[in-house]
Amino acid sequence: MEHTTLSHHLLLAGLLFALGLTGVLVRRNLLVVYMCLELMLAATTLAMVAFSRFAHKMDGAVFVFFVITVAAAEVAVGLALIVALYRRRGTIQSDALDTLRD
Amino acid sequence: MPDGLFTFFAALTLGAALLLVLSRNAVTSAMGMILALVGIAADFFLLDAYFLGVLQVLVYAGAVMVLFLFIIMLLDTDDATGSYPWKTAALGLATFFLLAAGVVWLFHWSGAVSATAAGVTPPELSANPAEFTTAAKSFGRLLYTKYLLPLEIAGFLLLVALVGVVSLSKDATEGQA
Amino acid sequence: MSPDFSSLVHWILFLPLGAALFIALFLRRAGALAAWLSTGVAFAIAALALRLLTATPADTRWHVELAKLGDVSLGFGYLLDANARLMLFVVSFVAAWIHLFSVGYMRDDDARGRFFGGLSIFMFSILGIVVADNLLMTFVFWELVGFSSYMLIAHYFDKDYAAAASKKAFIVNRVGDLGFILGIAFCLAHFGTLDFAALGALKPAAGWPWLLGALLMCGFIGKSAQFPLHVWLTDAMAGPTPVSALIHAATMVAAGVYFMARISFLLTPDVLQLVAVSGAGMAALAGLCALAQTDIKKSLAYSTLAHLGIMGCAIGLGRPELAVLHMAMHAFFKATLFLGAGSVIHGCHHEQDMLKMGGLARRMPVTTAAFVAATLSNCAVPFLAGWYSKDAILEAAHEHNLYLFALLALAAVATCLYSARMVRLVFFGPANSEAADHAHESPWTMTAPLVVLGLGFSVAAGFGATTLIPAAALARVAEPLRAMAFHATSPATLVGLVALILGGFAFRYYGRAAGVDSLRADLPRVYGLLEFRWMDTFYGWLVDSVQRRVAEFIAFLDLLLINGVAVRWLGAGLPAVVGYLTGRTLHRGQTRLYALSLVAGTLLLAWYFLAR
Repeated sequence: MEHTTLSHHLLLAGLLFALGLTGVLVRRNLLVVYMCLELMLAATTLAMVAFSRFAHKMDGAVFVFFVITVAAAEVAVGLALIVALYRRRGTIQSDALDTLRD
Repeated sequence: MPDGLFTFFAALTLGAALLLVLSRNAVTSAMGMILALVGIAADFFLLDAYFLGVLQVLVYAGAVMVLFLFIIMLLDTDDATGSYPWKTAALGLATFFLLAAGVVWLFHWSGAVSATAAGVTPPELSANPAEFTTAAKSFGRLLYTKYLLPLEIAGFLLLVALVGVVSLSKDATEGQA
Repeated sequence: MSPDFSSLVHWILFLPLGAALFIALFLRRAGALAAWLSTGVAFAIAALALRLLTATPADTRWHVELAKLGDVSLGFGYLLDANARLMLFVVSFVAAWIHLFSVGYMRDDDARGRFFGGLSIFMFSILGIVVADNLLMTFVFWELVGFSSYMLIAHYFDKDYAAAASKKAFIVNRVGDLGFILGIAFCLAHFGTLDFAALGALKPAAGWPWLLGALLMCGFIGKSAQFPLHVWLTDAMAGPTPVSALIHAATMVAAGVYFMARISFLLTPDVLQLVAVSGAGMAALAGLCALAQTDIKKSLAYSTLAHLGIMGCAIGLGRPELAVLHMAMHAFFKATLFLGAGSVIHGCHHEQDMLKMGGLARRMPVTTAAFVAATLSNCAVPFLAGWYSKDAILEAAHEHNLYLFALLALAAVATCLYSARMVRLVFFGPANSEAADHAHESPWTMTAPLVVLGLGFSVAAGFGATTLIPAAALARVAEPLRAMAFHATSPATLVGLVALILGGFAFRYYGRAAGVDSLRADLPRVYGLLEFRWMDTFYGWLVDSVQRRVAEFIAFLDLLLINGVAVRWLGAGLPAVVGYLTGRTLHRGQTRLYALSLVAGTLLLAWYFLAR
């Protein structure tokens, strides 16, 4: 078995990103859309760690630390927004939330 | 084929991500997400980033996803009914294959990445890059010396998020709007 | 530099922090335990500071680098020269006795735990300022001191005026700190270092930039209540009396003076001139205003303002060692005066109006003795502690500038006048109220500090320091101490004599009518002028008329330009046109459609850039 190279890890990260993006475009439940968004973020952190490891520098890993922190904060606020939205509209299906149209 | 462990975890992660994207039930999606995150954390471990792997499990899979689950249970929505209209399904498949093709081409077939992996040193992007270690201690040292400012700002960001969430969660009917 | 002494400083600095944390976590309800822990720690660090003062002739230095931003190194460290050791001792010694006093004074207060936690954190903050070896560290502890002061003034937070007073103190200090931080930025940009020792070694070819000294001085103006940022000190009397004694008489306000002494080498002559004039002016004015206050603490607050003015003047005259000396002496007798006031207030069951006191000499003899001793020191009676420093400053002013001398002489006269008034109204004559009639002497926890600080240090600190402490330990302060000698015909002595005589007259004058302020009865307009809060009224007018108008104008501009032109026309105009054209297709309100367009656009861009 050959060693895993950088491209293997990046491939994985890229595929996960693609899956996440597809999920964002296809799903209607806002919470699932949000989770897919987070999957995209996690995929990019994977890519960053891979780069950090193969370029033999720590800066990438430290950046991932901050990405995780920001993601946590962002999820908290985003979920609060979704709950507030649910309270107002009674639904979190994105198809039903289309009052911002012309 | 690459390393056995890597293949296993990669398959696990991709399978879990598929579960996340395709499942009708929101809770099942959440479970898939957790599994995917654990798989990614395992990949971190394979990449010698032990501290980050643990952090991922603790914070991301542990705290963030638990929060998601709480909200999913709180909002108690129905499962997605019926199958998707053909337009959406086609769009989804098309997007995915387009992106996947792009990813595979970029990272596997084109020469961009293999050159790096072969050991060509990339041009230095920062003035004093940090040496690669796996110890959490030196991670912490880096955070408090070179990356002190971002650390402080991250702390501030968390405070702002906290205040924001509390004010968002207030009932609109109590007191003044 | 012996390692033994830097570890001593670690103990001095971190013991009160430890006490504060312990109290905050575990002892909030156990008031008595918190009180004794805090007091014990205070005495321990006083003992350590005394050891430090008497043992080391050489400077102690210690430094650890915390962050390196490019070329600039930021760190935490100690620089203990002679001034620092003296200040360390004075602060910790006076504070220890005030802690003991608070044990008695706050006995009936339920929130004692919080109070003593606040005192401990204050100790940590002020000692940090004293030992700091660079500007940034000084600033951090400066802010901490401001926070502790805020917390302690608002101890009775359910009283509106106390909460308002603490806010005012913090905000006014903040204004000064703005200048301070600009000064730090300027220093960093210009000289690349914030370290005191490094700055001291620099001898810039073109001289020091005047702006640097002026900006750093802003911090001093705020913290040490110099004109025009002096308005917070009288309101700060809303806090418990030990807080007034510790913070607003002996230590925090003196931190500004200490800081100026530390950076005195970079102050240019024009800045010094400004400091001297404003200081002397404040001294004279505040002294006169003290005559128009009926609240004993407010009167003492004005007295503190006057003395701070004298210290400022000393710095402005280019004699920072005299300012430091006066700060030390002032700490002793002013703390005694405040503690005495506290004892009196406690004895009269929380009555603070001087006109309702009277005749307390019979009923509270120990307090009276200490208070009178401190008053005499305040009035610079020869060979008492206050005389050594105040007369030295008068002499220095006489050599330098006769106008300053005149102002300081007026201040000296005013001091004797208001002191005589205070002593007469509070301690002598008939008792003017029930409370005063039934007053009794305070318990030992309150009288012991009065005796030590009042009868002991306020009297003997001067010649005690010249005889008992080796000159090497006091370094720059020792020289003026030893040089003070009683010359019968020197201008300072003459001023002092005149002041004392006028004080004697005042003593009799205020005894004429009981329960009434004689000056108010005889010259109501003069009294009214002295009583009126000029600066507060000015600031109030400034905010109401000027600042509000400016804010309203800017809001109007915002509405007109940004909201109207930029958003409605430019920002919304073009998109409105585009939107009209694409409304049916693109603006459907469906999130997924928007996400799709986003992704499609990004992919197009990515393809474009990658294909190049």
